[in-house]
Amino acid sequence: MKVQVLFFGATAEETGEREIEVSLAENIQANEAFAEIVGKYPRLKSHKLLFAINQEYASGDEIVKDGDELAIFTAVSGG
Amino acid sequence: MDFCEITTETLDVGAIARRVVPANCGAIVTLDGFVRQITKGRETLYLEYEGYEPMALKEMEKLVAQVKTEFEIENVGIVHRLGKLEIGETSVVISVAAPHRRHAFAACEWLIKELKRTVPIWKKEVYADGEVWVEGENAKN
Repeated sequence: MKVQVLFFGATAEETGEREIEVSLAENIQANEAFAEIVGKYPRLKSHKLLFAINQEYASGDEIVKDGDELAIFTAVSGG
Repeated sequence: MDFCEITTETLDVGAIARRVVPANCGAIVTLDGFVRQITKGRETLYLEYEGYEPMALKEMEKLVAQVKTEFEIENVGIVHRLGKLEIGETSVVISVAAPHRRHAFAACEWLIKELKRTVPIWKKEVYADGEVWVEGENAKN
């Protein structure tokens, strides 16, 4: 199955990407899926990362579904 | 009425504040958050804000729903600007209308603290000799 993965700010700079499509195993848990994606971009590992699925913070144990929108970003700094 | 918005346009603080006023209120507290020139002794030239807009709006709306259950307030407006902001330009406005001021002050403080923790927006500090994406210290785990 395929999912979209979005990067913002520091994670966009570290990966050189804003949006990618990734193939994942069916029924994969969110924490495994994010670990797999982060594994492709070693420069992300020096950051504290936050994860979202379909525009909600991921809890980690939910199952990722085909067509989901994943996002990987650093600790937020708005305001 | 309540509202949450994201824009790249200049923010008119007074106009935003006026939009939250109902007849039964006696106070509005408005935070005007703007671009600081000196941070920890280092001079900023300008800031660039980026957001995950649909999620940022959802998170802002969650904050509005929650703040209204926890504080005696009537209306809330939150507007965050994105893009390049010069020193002194307003990046965020939070206005809270309440029958009595102390609830408005407390709610406004709670909202900016939570916004900085949960709403997916990031700022890049651009200095004369470099730039850095700021990573929030109190962000959600």
